[in-house]
Amino acid sequence: MSLQNDKFLNISDTISNSYLETTQKKVMGYYCTYIPEELFHAAKLFPYRIRSTGNKDTDLADIYMVRFTCSYVRSTLHLALQGVYDFLDGFVVCNSCDHSRRMFELFDLKVFNRESFTKKVPRFYLALPHIITEEGFGWYKKEVEEFKEELEKSYNINEITNRDLIDSINVYNENRRLLREIHNLRILDNPKISGSEALQISMANSSVPKEIANKELERILQILKDSEGIKTSNKRILLVGSIVDNINFTQLVESSGAIIVSDFLCFGTRNFQDDVKITSENNPLEDITKRLYYRMSCPRMMDDHERRLEFLKNEIKRANIDGVLLQRINNCDLHGCDNMLYEHELKDLDIPVFNIDRESFQADTTRLQTRIEAFLEMIT
Amino acid sequence: MENKIIPYTMLSEALNSTQELIERILPEYGMPSLRIGLEKINSVLDDYLQKAQEGFPIVGYHFAFPGEYLQCYDCVPVCLEASGYFLATLLLHGVEKYYDLIANFGHPYHTCSAQKASMAFTLDDLFRFDAIITPTAPCDSTCASYPFFRYEGKFPLIIADLPFRFDEKGYEYYGNQLKLSLTKLGKEIGQEPDYKKLKMALELENKTNKLQLEIFELAKTIPSPIENMYNAVSAATAILIPGTIEKYEFYKEMLEIAKYRYRKKVHHGGEEHIRSIWPYMLTFFDISLCEYLDRELGMSILFDIFNYNFSDPINTRSDLNTMFYDMAKKGMGWPMVKQSIEFYYPFINDCVRFAKEFSADCFIFTQSLACKQFGTVPQLLKEALKEIGVPMLIIEFDVGDARMTSLATMKEKIKMFSQTLL
Repeated sequence: MSLQNDKFLNISDTISNSYLETTQKKVMGYYCTYIPEELFHAAKLFPYRIRSTGNKDTDLADIYMVRFTCSYVRSTLHLALQGVYDFLDGFVVCNSCDHSRRMFELFDLKVFNRESFTKKVPRFYLALPHIITEEGFGWYKKEVEEFKEELEKSYNINEITNRDLIDSINVYNENRRLLREIHNLRILDNPKISGSEALQISMANSSVPKEIANKELERILQILKDSEGIKTSNKRILLVGSIVDNINFTQLVESSGAIIVSDFLCFGTRNFQDDVKITSENNPLEDITKRLYYRMSCPRMMDDHERRLEFLKNEIKRANIDGVLLQRINNCDLHGCDNMLYEHELKDLDIPVFNIDRESFQADTTRLQTRIEAFLEMIT
Repeated sequence: MENKIIPYTMLSEALNSTQELIERILPEYGMPSLRIGLEKINSVLDDYLQKAQEGFPIVGYHFAFPGEYLQCYDCVPVCLEASGYFLATLLLHGVEKYYDLIANFGHPYHTCSAQKASMAFTLDDLFRFDAIITPTAPCDSTCASYPFFRYEGKFPLIIADLPFRFDEKGYEYYGNQLKLSLTKLGKEIGQEPDYKKLKMALELENKTNKLQLEIFELAKTIPSPIENMYNAVSAATAILIPGTIEKYEFYKEMLEIAKYRYRKKVHHGGEEHIRSIWPYMLTFFDISLCEYLDRELGMSILFDIFNYNFSDPINTRSDLNTMFYDMAKKGMGWPMVKQSIEFYYPFINDCVRFAKEFSADCFIFTQSLACKQFGTVPQLLKEALKEIGVPMLIIEFDVGDARMTSLATMKEKIKMFSQTLL
């Protein structure tokens, strides 16, 4: 058996899916993985990560967002203005970056305020510190506690209990364990899965209820364990940088003579490395917040570049990486500057590295492919 | 002793020659804000350069960190953003070659030119800091670019986390962050904070703020008694020489001039035809635009983002915690910071209110390439202003890099827009 045309992976190709269409739960849309998903789950909500997969236009969003903004966020707004995200029953934004943060206002004024749209959609905002300190943790803990109260109030939930939270933590920890196991099969000498398939799994995983996802991941894991693996002499690449929510890009890389055996992406390893460690039955919410806050960071955490670099160095060894592909969506300052530092640091370690910019949707394909092929050829 | 702040020397030299030109060429009452402002800035820079020569620690700071807070130490405060922008203003060929230098290092073109120049100065070994202090706001560019100074410049980087929540909880948190970061800075430069000195600087700033507020009020009158150039020079004094007597004197003299013009109903450019509000920034790569608008189009810039944000006075007579709380309020209400950490609603409401209170004929929104935190507001603001019949022109540009949207293009756009107003 292979994963080609697998029904679970196919979920990643579209925004909607059968689970979303038939669920009785309220759907909570979010952009960034710094939000407490376990809390939504405990509140019997269905967390759904907003994507722009498959979309190629930003016309409607371009009215409200200048051209210096991120094409991924613009693309999601375009879809939302078309009504594609009308299934949302809740919307949460945190200040992960300047682009996605402003969706709080735009969804309020332009998406949920459309004449044809009558549903009342509660909106929530979480302010996340930009550095990792004890004080910052204290701040975020309070934010999440207040957020829990807001959720209870907005959805008439009597109480999200500690038991609910612990049960949800267990479901999510299991989910992350399964993703890590799949990842371990990806970094083998003969990887059992391509980078594009891994990305599809990750995207599908954020688009269905976690209980379903866990069953599907178990099934996929079994398929992968039984498979022979990919025998290839293609260059083993570590993909780093801005959000990738479209396999067009990973397919372009992999059709250029590479196999993406690991990544450092938010639809990837960054999201499943760390588990929630339950320290006490009395305060699981604090444990959830601890994982969120102290987890492997993205460049929006201003003082954590060393730890991110350390991860890259370890992963390069662990996954036997031939070269590192740094990429950013145009106008993404955070990944752009982090990539700039990596480029110099990795070059100093004699690790082949290549830094590119791109749009969220597949554009400029030939130029990109030529550059990537040239990079791969340079790797000895 | 080696010069660790060569860009400040460059700035001082550029200021000297500009000042000389002004003194020799302009009539006695021509562009007083530039004449007075440059004199005051130059005086403070001379002092900084002298102190740097004497070996005082060099402390770099982000413009969103009110520089007067550094006066609790005997140090040379150097504003990273101001260095690049004011050299862009004063050097004949701007600082584009430094933007290119850092771009060649791999810094993305779409980040803020405010930091680009200082990063390049560091790369070129023109800046050597003993420490740098920055908040985590107002933008991604700040969070993204400042780690360069730690990793490439090898300078100690002290970060005060500025919460993206403009409320009581936020003030308390940021007050504590300010205290912690200033203490850390003291350890880095081997000094104990002198709160008495800090209080004096804060009190002076309180008095200066009052003057600024009076000038702001006078801009409501028709014709505006404030020349456009005032906005640019005021921005410079705010971030380059905070907490100094020279800054205070600048506003005092400007207020006197504004009052005189108000009494005489005199407009700097001759006749006021259009009253404009610039809710964001002016060009820094060429501030002659200010004078062009005043004299050629009769367009007053009533204020820009650096000249409409006023905070409550800081209470220096109570305990330290209260003082830091007030300092946090000021820091969070700082131009661009407030608008960045808040939602858009108050910003839009403020603009609509200002349009009415200042009898504005139009708004001009300069959308800078780097300011992603503002990248989704222009259209929303335009729609809100349209409802009260005030048109808004949006110009995309780079504040410091003349190559993106040239001065000629800007002039042309504004000229065409103004024709639709008259």
